[in-house]
Amino acid sequence: MDSIFFYENSEHSAGSGKGALQKLKVAVQPNFSVKGWPTEAGSVALAGFKALEDAPVVERLSGAGAALIGSTAMSEFGFGLKGSCAGAAVEKKSADVELILDIAGEARLSAAREGICGFKPSYGLIPRLGLVGLIPTMETVGILAHEIAFIRDILQTIAGPDERDFSLPDEKIPDLSFQDIDPANTALGILSDVVNGLPPEERGAFNKLCEALKQDGFPIKEISFPDFSQFLLVHQIVGSVEASSCLGRYDSVRYGQRVPGAKNWNDMYLQSRGAAFGTLLKSFLFQGAFFQFEKYGAYEDACRLRARLVTQMQSLDPMADALILPTVNHAASHRTGSLIEMYAQFACTAFANVTGRPALHLRAGNGIGFQLSAKRLDDGRLLSLGRYLLSHRQGGKS
Amino acid sequence: MEFEAVIGLEIHVELNSATKLFCDCPNNPGDEPNINTCPTCLWFPGAVPRLSRAALEKAALLCLGLNSELQQRSAFDQKVYYYPDLPKGYQLSQAHQPLSRGGWIDIVDEDGSTRRLRIHHIHMEEDVAKLVHEMEGRMPISLVDFNRAGAPLVEIVTEPDFRTPHHAMEFLKALRTQVRYVGSSECSMENGTMRVDANISIRPKGTNQMNTKVEVKNMNSIRHVGDAIAYEINRQSVAVGAGEAVILHTRLWNPDKKATLPMRAKFEGPCVPDPTIPAIILSKEEIHALRSRLPEMPAARAERFIQQYGFSVEEAAYLSSDPEVAGYCEAVVKEGVAPRTVMHWLTTQLMPAVKDRGEELNQTKVTPVRFASLLKMLTHDEINANAARDVLAQLFQSDETPGAIVNAMGFKQVSDRGELEAMIDEVLAGQPAAVADFKSGQGKAMGFLIGQVMQVSGGKANPKMIRKLLTDRLAAK
Repeated sequence: MDSIFFYENSEHSAGSGKGALQKLKVAVQPNFSVKGWPTEAGSVALAGFKALEDAPVVERLSGAGAALIGSTAMSEFGFGLKGSCAGAAVEKKSADVELILDIAGEARLSAAREGICGFKPSYGLIPRLGLVGLIPTMETVGILAHEIAFIRDILQTIAGPDERDFSLPDEKIPDLSFQDIDPANTALGILSDVVNGLPPEERGAFNKLCEALKQDGFPIKEISFPDFSQFLLVHQIVGSVEASSCLGRYDSVRYGQRVPGAKNWNDMYLQSRGAAFGTLLKSFLFQGAFFQFEKYGAYEDACRLRARLVTQMQSLDPMADALILPTVNHAASHRTGSLIEMYAQFACTAFANVTGRPALHLRAGNGIGFQLSAKRLDDGRLLSLGRYLLSHRQGGKS
Repeated sequence: MEFEAVIGLEIHVELNSATKLFCDCPNNPGDEPNINTCPTCLWFPGAVPRLSRAALEKAALLCLGLNSELQQRSAFDQKVYYYPDLPKGYQLSQAHQPLSRGGWIDIVDEDGSTRRLRIHHIHMEEDVAKLVHEMEGRMPISLVDFNRAGAPLVEIVTEPDFRTPHHAMEFLKALRTQVRYVGSSECSMENGTMRVDANISIRPKGTNQMNTKVEVKNMNSIRHVGDAIAYEINRQSVAVGAGEAVILHTRLWNPDKKATLPMRAKFEGPCVPDPTIPAIILSKEEIHALRSRLPEMPAARAERFIQQYGFSVEEAAYLSSDPEVAGYCEAVVKEGVAPRTVMHWLTTQLMPAVKDRGEELNQTKVTPVRFASLLKMLTHDEINANAARDVLAQLFQSDETPGAIVNAMGFKQVSDRGELEAMIDEVLAGQPAAVADFKSGQGKAMGFLIGQVMQVSGGKANPKMIRKLLTDRLAAK
């Protein structure tokens, strides 16, 4: 257990509250601000930093009676899975729910790794204040649990505007209660371009899953989306630019670790930031700075491309109630050394971060599960579908 | 070859809103260092900026006051560079979608004609921290005061419409007046609430070329802006005349040497859209509501002063240039004093007296009501002008009413006919030579006799009545 947890809260009082989440044991990652907890976000840049206040998300969890049991080991600023133990606490039943930032698909991929469910809600549902983020327009709080009901309860608790956080879009919070699912009236779309790109074995398994869903009465529609591979590209360019800005604040001037002996302020920056960030993150930040300073036009192109991809994806909505696609890119899952290799892991997940759509990784009995996604703010229906599939497809294989 | 200058200005104005631009910290940069800071303006992990509505409104009113068109959609960008006075590696500014576009100020040119100087756009941005460089023993250290970090600024970027130092100085004076009118800032270059950079290039007179410009900074008065521009025009003209090329760079005005000197090249970083601060959307209705909050602007007020009070163009321009003075003047007129009397006493007596005392007009004990009461005694011949000046001096120190001061100091003018006749008798009896002079046609003897009566009265006699009574008496004799 020591290896899973970064910080354990010895004082947590399970079941003290009377709220919707009473007795639920919740773990977060140390990029969620919990007052007094070490909040290092997995980085030397924040070594020894303790949160000054609870994030609104944390306030809401506590207010609803959840027991915050601690924070789990994470990758540097939540970027990628290297060093992250997300999902293990749920898998080992030391927590009922874990919350992590889903930046490119981390919540869904961690869930796949641990054989549990992982949900990335719609962008803009959950206040970001107090979350030590990396890519503001891509990331949101991901929820990991074995049961969809826990995920839904957590989402209902933490979603909604906060008067201190103006970054949320001004829109109505959708109904997040469970709805009845009638398979015959729930069209599932398969992105054929994604499926065709899978290795033969995976493709076979996925087609079998689709066949089984068809047997269950779901209309299955094949949908073409030739530009799907561009999601990763857009994520990488726009994401690196935002990350470069976002981590600019870790300059050792006001807090954090300052390397002594610098000759001047520029040298202080170089040495302190040089010591603060790991290799993978540095290459990401360099890439962002490159686009900011040298290839700004390419960054603007990526932003335009992003807008086009969002529109393209919206144009699919009339064809299917939910999309069904794999979560894990098996070809890339074991190589995580370089930035390119790490990014390849998110080939099937980044689309939801780029478009702001909700996406759910659903565990499967003895397979590695699959991913469902729906249009933005359709979180309630997506979770309902996930719950239906889990309960009606016991032992279903992916 | 004769050259003309092409000049554009970039003017930073620090808004006087109560809080900073993105947090609730007090906007008081001068307080004890680092007192006015919070996790947001220090950019702690997890901080989310929240645009201050009050600062936005101050900025919007400023734009409207300068005839600039508020945009229905504007947005913040990140100006990326690293410097210890910048707490997060970028400055929040509006590079791509400014708060307003266009605008103009009319000035009076040196030949008396009106010249319109255009504004390109006005955008909001946050100020940076203040760096203090000190020695700790033999070790140089830099201290950072974040009180100013995140303070609300607007930047006014003009078109290159200016040709002379006069244009720049008149533009800045008018801009300062107009911004003071809308109440968004004091615009004091001396106190740093207005900072001006000038972009200057030269070209052969009569051509339309746009040549390489030089940016000049570090002027801390409007006069210095004029001096720096004049110096720079001359420097470039001499250089080009000698066959040298003008290189794009930045120079600092050195007020001691009265010269611009080159500074180290400044690094210009990119501007990336900020992903966190929502775009500012102003509906037509909101813009209309803001416009209705604009006070009467100086040009309109001056025009009204001419029409309503009969002031000259110069008087109206002088009075309306400062909203405090204009408001004070109108308040006194409203108390029932003739506008001309108010104008005269305000400009020749009260303003110099306020200035001598180093006070602000609206903070002295001489309120418009007390000043009006003094001027009314004067116009009703209850006191004379000399007494009024003495009473005015007393008004600065005393809380007594002007009437009470007049009584206490015995300034009440003698207008009683019997009393005055007695004094005149006394003077005429004692000055037969002057009486004879007057009768032989020497008119100036009248002035002497009036002076004698005033002396007898201890300065309290009503001079107009003395003249009348004396004239009657001398004519009868």
